Amino acid sequence: MRASDVITADHRVPAGACAPVCPSTKPVGCSGPIDPPVHKDLMSTHISGTVFWPVAVVAVALLALWIRQAVVSAALRRRLAQAVEDVRAREAELGHLVDVRLPAVEMAGRRPPQGLRDQRLAGSAYADRLDQVVHRFVGASEKARVRADHAAKSTLMAAMKSVQALANEQQLAITEMQNRHHSAHVLQDLMEIDHANSQFARRAQAVAVLCGSWPGRQRAASPLIDVLRGAKSRIRDYQRVEIYPGPEVDVISRAVEPVVLTVAELLDNATRHSQPNTSVEVTIRPAHNGTTIVIDDAGVGMDELEISTAVERLTRGQHLDINALGDPPQFGFAAVGVLAARYGFTVSVDTQSPYGGVRAVIFLPKALLVAAGQGAVPVVARAAAHDRAVAQARQQGGATPMPVRTPGAARPTAAPDPQPAQAAAPAAPAAPAPAATPPAAAPAAGPVPLHAPAPEPAPVPAPLRPLTPVATPATPTAPADADLPAHERDDGYEVPETPITGITAGGLPKRRRREISEEQLAARYASASGPAVGEDTGPVRTAQETASRMGAFARGTRSGRAESADVEGTAQQ
Amino acid sequence: MTPARRREQGLVRAYVVTDGRAHPTRNTLDIVTLVNAVTSRPLTGLSPEKRGVMELCRGGALSVAEVAGHLGLPISVVKVLISDLIDSGHIFARAAVPKAQLPDVQLLQEVLDGLRARL
Repeated sequence: MRASDVITADHRVPAGACAPVCPSTKPVGCSGPIDPPVHKDLMSTHISGTVFWPVAVVAVALLALWIRQAVVSAALRRRLAQAVEDVRAREAELGHLVDVRLPAVEMAGRRPPQGLRDQRLAGSAYADRLDQVVHRFVGASEKARVRADHAAKSTLMAAMKSVQALANEQQLAITEMQNRHHSAHVLQDLMEIDHANSQFARRAQAVAVLCGSWPGRQRAASPLIDVLRGAKSRIRDYQRVEIYPGPEVDVISRAVEPVVLTVAELLDNATRHSQPNTSVEVTIRPAHNGTTIVIDDAGVGMDELEISTAVERLTRGQHLDINALGDPPQFGFAAVGVLAARYGFTVSVDTQSPYGGVRAVIFLPKALLVAAGQGAVPVVARAAAHDRAVAQARQQGGATPMPVRTPGAARPTAAPDPQPAQAAAPAAPAAPAPAATPPAAAPAAGPVPLHAPAPEPAPVPAPLRPLTPVATPATPTAPADADLPAHERDDGYEVPETPITGITAGGLPKRRRREISEEQLAARYASASGPAVGEDTGPVRTAQETASRMGAFARGTRSGRAESADVEGTAQQ
Repeated sequence: MTPARRREQGLVRAYVVTDGRAHPTRNTLDIVTLVNAVTSRPLTGLSPEKRGVMELCRGGALSVAEVAGHLGLPISVVKVLISDLIDSGHIFARAAVPKAQLPDVQLLQEVLDGLRARL
């Protein structure tokens, strides 16, 4: 404003200065009386000439300044307006973040589809920061969710395990009572208690499975029809379930309980959502690559939303959020999904039954099935068969001690799983062979495998460790507890620890054979064979005879090993 | 299904085996009642346990207790099954041979005393 004032003043000045100039030219041809004004005019002309140029320069400078000022101020105004706009947009964006985006993350538990509100900010550092905030928020909420899920699952699992254990205990008690009391009245009451207990156990089992636990019971391989009836016995309205027999096929031991639980949950669902006077039909149909179990109910069916929820629960398996199961929580489909994913069968519930309800189809692949009657040998029978095999082997080749664990003898884990012992059996002749040479001629660093360090044996167990009296291999005590550590044996004599002299190429410790005199050997032989008189120990040989036989065997083994290119076998030497 | 095959215990509960009934349709069965299978009847439509009873009884007369032992089921449950099978004509039952009537112990004692007194 001031500049313009100045400028107008400037303009006026030359106008005022010009006015005296013009009259001064006019009276040039005039007479004398007008002289003084001429002088005056000359004076004023001189003065105006001297004043004009500086004033003009100043005016031009001021004009330039003014123009520059105007340009600068316009730019500033623009920038100010832009900055205000920018701040407003950021404010709005921040508000959008707090009011829309983060709540969306909270509600849905995942990144909302809508991003920035104002697309002009897209790509800017500010938008990146906001995205980072959202990401962090998502991460934090995800972490919190996972933690809460884990905590809920582990708590539920621990609680359900104890409930399951109690239910199983009670079932055993009920079974015992059913066997003890022959009265029909008592049986009636026991059946009711048993029925309630079975449902109770199933609920606990389903929750435990959903929380990552194993189904709990180990059963022998069972006919599919029994598996279905087992499932039938765990639901409330079991009398409405009709099972039609199909192909006779057995479910393998590992899969019995999961399939029972799966079918039970589906049957429960079917009976729960259908009229009490309708029946639920279960049919077994052979398929190309397995067997299908079809469960049809004549109930209300499921609408699209329910089907999609059910399919989601069936397919999400282990990753299902336990907190998203509704209130009251519906564990059934979720537990079925977990089991199906874990054991490799498929369950679908998205077809409609010809009776109007839901048709649930369980497809059991061949891997979970065996032919009827096979693989159903009870555990006890397997153990007995194994015992017989061991005894036979002892009788035939009495010179080779079979390093097997005796099922059920102070080692409960040995009974249900005799396979490791059987697998170890073929390797047995190799190990005792060098050890069986007479003690005097024993190689300096005999390949003596390591002790079993703890009562729980390794998968390739320590039975390979040849006991010193292998020169009298018919000793019955050797195989029975060969895998026990020295301090756990009670066979009458001590086996002191042998010092480790080195390490083999395979990383196993080398031990030096202890020197044993003939008398010691004889004494041990006598004491070891003493209590075993009643048993079938095979023909009794002298130590020398056995030693020569074993020596021959060892030589054969060595030559065989030298010929083969097996690195593992020769690494010990 | 092999007859001697023992089923997994505890998988199928007793109330499913008898379809919820605890009382047999006839109360003539005892644990020593002998049951025989009628071999001419077809086995279609029978539950696995009833088939098991029929397989066991095909070989000859068995007592109810023995059937229960072989099947691994409670005796009261087997009684329900066998009553059903008798009703459907698959099995006929025969009461156990009654115990012979033995003379009274007191009478024997008197006879003994009499003989001792005489000799």
